Amino acid sequence: MGQHDLSRRNSALNGSASDFDPDVYRISPLDQFMTNPDALHSSISQGTIPSNLAELATDPETDPCDIAEAAMPDLVFGDLAQTDAEWVRDHTVTCNYCANILIGLEHVCSSLDECADAADQRAATRRPSATECLGIPEARYGFMETPVGDVLIATSDDGVVEVSYLENSDTYESLRDLERRGYLVYERQHEVRPVVDQLSEYFALQRNRFDLPIDLGGVSDFTRSVLLATNHIPYGKVRTYGEVARAIGKPKASRAVGNALGRNPIPVIIPCHRVILTSGAMGWYTGGPEIKRILLDIEGVHYGARQRTAQQTLGFEL
Amino acid sequence: MSELALPSDNMALGTSVPKHASKPVGKSGGVVFTSMIERFGDEIYRFACQLTGNGVDADDLYQETLLKAFRAFDRLAADANHRAWLYRICSNTFISDRRKHGRVAPMSDVLAETLTASSPDPAGALDARDLLRDVERFVDDLPPKQRVALVLRKHHEYGYADIAGILNSSEAAARANVHEALSKLRGAFAHRLEV
Repeated sequence: MGQHDLSRRNSALNGSASDFDPDVYRISPLDQFMTNPDALHSSISQGTIPSNLAELATDPETDPCDIAEAAMPDLVFGDLAQTDAEWVRDHTVTCNYCANILIGLEHVCSSLDECADAADQRAATRRPSATECLGIPEARYGFMETPVGDVLIATSDDGVVEVSYLENSDTYESLRDLERRGYLVYERQHEVRPVVDQLSEYFALQRNRFDLPIDLGGVSDFTRSVLLATNHIPYGKVRTYGEVARAIGKPKASRAVGNALGRNPIPVIIPCHRVILTSGAMGWYTGGPEIKRILLDIEGVHYGARQRTAQQTLGFEL
Repeated sequence: MSELALPSDNMALGTSVPKHASKPVGKSGGVVFTSMIERFGDEIYRFACQLTGNGVDADDLYQETLLKAFRAFDRLAADANHRAWLYRICSNTFISDRRKHGRVAPMSDVLAETLTASSPDPAGALDARDLLRDVERFVDDLPPKQRVALVLRKHHEYGYADIAGILNSSEAAARANVHEALSKLRGAFAHRLEV
């Protein structure tokens, strides 16, 4: 191709081809790489062109050095197919210009490796824990079998944070709830041992009050006040939602009290099962009515299977 | 084996509950935050060290990454690629920090200057440290995006498609970032090779 032809072809490629000539406007697969080296870079890795560099280099319109240079980063990262890598290395034997580039790149890579080694040494010495990074408390959890099914128990440095019935909420959701409340969760069965012991005694009718600190972190103020009031209801006694509402100074809030009790993160220990409807019917419960019935039964408050009111049997004052 | 079983400390001191230690994750199963960090924390911290070039900034970057991840964890799909997600947060944090505050002198700068001033080192050792310091400075002078792309490609075995995902760019741009970084570094070293 003569000088004149070449300039015509280039102007055609640049889109200003007023003298458009189909014969000149002939784009070989390599043309796009002549005008746009980036296209060659990406094409080689994406395999959109035959990644046979030796074959590409035989095109008379291509400078093999362009191909070698474009392929070199892939060579030093070990991304090139073996035959292509061999072609580039063969090329650098005969081409000083490309040899220098390759030596430079290899030098850069080995220097980067040294820097990375230094960084790795730093990284290996001490990684801050998630607790240090986030500055939030840990909740250590474990599991326990009880007469009301399997439960997940979690404690923090400040006390019991969670008791979850796994029959109707899975482990993952329970743990995510703890994370949403702002705790980092770790499985540490031995750390929940004191809670397991006291719950075991409770279910064995050998304990009528829990001697455990509770931690209501991440719980709203209203819910917290409801739960703390509920925590004062003695073993074997029941109160109505309305009574709890009056106890926290919000006599009209009995429905909200019900909702708050439904969010009790520490059932059994905070005895939300001791709160029932004004009618004397048992009412709703986090773990389901059957669990509420069993817990009240343990404490000597008997509901029949058909949930008759407990009013007469108990004689508590409304 | 579920992800949740990872942080087990296997110290159930004879309680009657070992069968629950392998309690199934359940219907909606997924990875909790702490399991994710226990699994990927080391390599993300290493990444932070490589990006910042010094321990103090690495700790800050790692801490910021964890804070952002913890806040956004709820919005992450359960089947998301947690590893790439953490890399992405760390990369974005690094890039935007650099844009806001520019770079700070790497620790090795301060260290090396102190050492040259105070201790009579053999010339060879000094050269090696000089070189390492120069490399770190050149790398530190790269545009942050190029630096992230280079570190991911060079030291974390990420391919260009993955890097594109982490940098939220096209694959060609990810590739261009890495190649550009390499050729800049090569240019910076050219005078040393001629000697």
